[in-house]
Amino acid sequence: MPQQLSSKDSSLFRQVVRFYENKQYKKGIKAAEQILRKTPNHGDTQAMKALIMSNLGQQEEAFVLAKEALKNDMRSHVCWHVYGLLYRQDKNYEEAIKAYRFALKIEPESQPIQRDLALLQMQMRDYPGYIQSRSAMLQARPGIRQNWTALAIAHHLSGDLEEAEKVLTTYEETLKTPPPLSDMEHSEAVLYKNTIIAESGNLERALEHLESVGHRISDVLAVMEMKADYLLRLGRTEEADAAYTALIERNPENSVYYDALIRVKGIPKDDHKALKAVYDSWVDKNPRGDAPRRIPLDFLEGDDFKQAADTYLQRMLRKGVPSLFANIKTLYANPSKRDIVQELVEGYASGNVELQSNGSADKQANGDNKYFEASTYYFLAQHYNYHLSRDLTKATEYVDKAIELTPKSVEYLMTKARIWKHQGDLGKAAETMEQARLLDEKDRYINSKAAKYQLRNDENDKALDNMSKFTRNETVGGALGDLHEMQCVWYLTEDGESYLRQKKLALALKRFHAVYNIFDVWQEDQFDFHSFSLRKGMIRAYVDMVRWEDRLRDHPFYSRVAIDAIKTYILLHDEPDLVHGPIPASSLDDLDGAERKKALKKAKKEQLRLEKIEAEKREARKANAKSADGEVKKEDPDPLGNKLVQTQDPLKDATKFLTPLLEFNPQNFEAQSLGFEVYLRRGKFVPALKCLEAAHSIDAANPALQQQLARFKKALETLPEPLPAQVAEVVNSELEQLSSKLVKA
Amino acid sequence: MVDIVPLSSYPSYIDLLPSIQTCNITNLPENYFLKYYLYHALTWPQLSFVAVVRPKNGYAAGPGKEYPKVVGYVLAKMEEEPTDGLAHGHITSLSVMRTHRRLGIAERLMRMSQRAMAESHRANYASLHVRMSNTAALHLYRDTLGFEVEKVESKYYADGEDAYAMKMDLRSMWIDWAEIERVDKEKLRQQEKEQKKTDGDGDDDGHPDEGDEVGELGKKDADKMIRVKVGRALGVGDLVERNEAQGTS
Repeated sequence: MPQQLSSKDSSLFRQVVRFYENKQYKKGIKAAEQILRKTPNHGDTQAMKALIMSNLGQQEEAFVLAKEALKNDMRSHVCWHVYGLLYRQDKNYEEAIKAYRFALKIEPESQPIQRDLALLQMQMRDYPGYIQSRSAMLQARPGIRQNWTALAIAHHLSGDLEEAEKVLTTYEETLKTPPPLSDMEHSEAVLYKNTIIAESGNLERALEHLESVGHRISDVLAVMEMKADYLLRLGRTEEADAAYTALIERNPENSVYYDALIRVKGIPKDDHKALKAVYDSWVDKNPRGDAPRRIPLDFLEGDDFKQAADTYLQRMLRKGVPSLFANIKTLYANPSKRDIVQELVEGYASGNVELQSNGSADKQANGDNKYFEASTYYFLAQHYNYHLSRDLTKATEYVDKAIELTPKSVEYLMTKARIWKHQGDLGKAAETMEQARLLDEKDRYINSKAAKYQLRNDENDKALDNMSKFTRNETVGGALGDLHEMQCVWYLTEDGESYLRQKKLALALKRFHAVYNIFDVWQEDQFDFHSFSLRKGMIRAYVDMVRWEDRLRDHPFYSRVAIDAIKTYILLHDEPDLVHGPIPASSLDDLDGAERKKALKKAKKEQLRLEKIEAEKREARKANAKSADGEVKKEDPDPLGNKLVQTQDPLKDATKFLTPLLEFNPQNFEAQSLGFEVYLRRGKFVPALKCLEAAHSIDAANPALQQQLARFKKALETLPEPLPAQVAEVVNSELEQLSSKLVKA
Repeated sequence: MVDIVPLSSYPSYIDLLPSIQTCNITNLPENYFLKYYLYHALTWPQLSFVAVVRPKNGYAAGPGKEYPKVVGYVLAKMEEEPTDGLAHGHITSLSVMRTHRRLGIAERLMRMSQRAMAESHRANYASLHVRMSNTAALHLYRDTLGFEVEKVESKYYADGEDAYAMKMDLRSMWIDWAEIERVDKEKLRQQEKEQKKTDGDGDDDGHPDEGDEVGELGKKDADKMIRVKVGRALGVGDLVERNEAQGTS
């Protein structure tokens, strides 16, 4: 039988709960202990104490106590609820859901348990469960709008648009008077309903609904965008024309609007004159804008192009817009346009400038001319540095001329550094970028660039030193710690890639895992919003967020680092000696192995040295951390990545990166190719073949395919034991197909 | 070509958040967790905008799609507990890549955000902080956009630099909400009259006391004001009010 509390202790227990809710953890623990002195096996008190301990970071002890609490009182919903909360803290969501369910069975009316269960179901995308929970919550408290909206979201995300709309409408019908305009929750819920109608494909009805409610919606721009979008898709050209015109008037810098406007105007693609006239009218209305000047360069041809390009280039060069080249380089896909641009700007450089108008000619002061000249050289430097128009000698010439005119220009030196990079001199490139940085030490952009170029040159320490000029260096772990904490993905990736180049696999893996973990954090980040967004009422944004989180890892930040990590693991598998640190590749096929042994010994020694330094640093920090007040943050037990690199099964670890990569980036040739390499080495022939097939369908002409196919066949032939009959059948038939395709190619 | 698009309204570009975070930490010393960006995007989805380079093949969705390059952003919010009692917006962060300056991107981002503050949230004004040494930014805010220096905040930045606290009145961009209400009420009354005529009988004038329930709900929400700590180490967890963190029944 569970122990009972005296009435005095019962009220003390209620206080424990209150202390917990108010985050007064120390007081909570004290009160709980007071109860437990008299009634040591009181389950609920033990559970509450465990919960508070977990919030104080004593997760393991909390779990032990929570289990004991359950043993003492199996029939207590408090104990089960706490048990679930601890699992949730541990991110073991499945067990947490189970525990919540037990708690709810004991106490079906408990709102907090129901809510916690619902939040986890949402996080786990258990839509049937979520619908069930949300229906129960709505039944318990139908007066609260959030409960209706939440149920609608549950139906919507599970794919039942009709039911979602119905729920929203049912609530709306309980409102006899329309809520005031200032009620944003209402406004967003109405607009949310509209998106559901549109999603169901009935644009006619969506438009009708939008037109009846749109003027009362607080997100004015969204209403305009949605209306224009519906009209366009419905082919109601006249109204769509007006809608897009209104959008451009509001924001003239969005090429999507112009695309749509041209479409609804029905101007044929080859009627350049008419097209140009549309854009010109927008230039007149918005003389400072870029889009209507720039877009016509995409479709104009021949002399028309030349004339327009001339005007555009001269104007931007005079303004000294540093992004001019970046803004027009996409035109170079068309070689004749590329040549025209080159001819024009070379002309400016040699002094053939036909001034565009008297007005601007009159205003030309000498200083202005110098500006124009430098911008022109700068443009040409970038032009000759670009892969479609590359001539690095000319590029250097021009950039030097530009620098001579404006020695303090950060941009010009940056370009010079890039030219060095393309010449293959990473040292000079890094050096030059560092010079650029010194010209403007307060600017973080150029600081970041300098650090990046140092990383490309494998100067990891120098790079970090540069970064530390802008990080909070008092963070645990110093500058690098801050870069981790602030989720600086680009730096961690570049740093890891540099270590991979240097065959310092431990540190490389350390960085790649850091990025992997950041993605985990980003996925976890959504949790609080399952409740937060309902209170805020910004439902459209929330639903978009949920859908984005579902494909979070299709971001190139992830695929890049996953590919890096998989390469590292394959290398580690193929050359296990690298676990001890970088060993020069040449020494690996050394004749009697003496050199290799020597290198290995040296690497091991270096590894020990680094570990010692790191341990000393840690001790020093510990001493510091104690003196400062506040909680002591947990130190990373493996800062050098040695534990990661000492894995028993590198290829299995690689799968952790590979699986999401293949799921979210199946169109990536390199991903499929690496998938093949991993699966082949693991003797998993069916998935290996699948990757090879996928790679083939992406890029049938890629020469790597033949070689991989040959290795696949060889691996099959040299199997110590034949494959199980069923597997062999699948493999052989698919292999045959793929072979014949590859032969044809 | 650079397009200015909304971050988390319609259409949603919320998948650019990691790139926006990268743009921020590449350009500025004041950095935030991704969750802090999420918090902005999901609390005031109308206010933040992104500047992106249009991908070669347009903004196609689906597998294999190209993520556009982010070259600038404005991250904005409404002040949650305005000390002067006036609803107003605040620019949390704005930056444009050095390679894309002088194209008017920052100005366009700011104008979009300011307008949304006025129209969607009835902001009386927008406020922001700028480093005293940042003359280019000061020029944009003061000369181009019309912000005024309100005061100097000494040692505002972590490195000890002072900030100008600036603000700009937005009321000229307000919508005539009273007029919308008036017209709609008129319409409603008209409809009800017609309804009454066709129904034959009438229960006087419809609805007034039904308003109560809605009003009360509205009040409940107002009570749930959220306390905000300013700082970069801020996640939504800290913003959630206490009773939401409740563990037991």
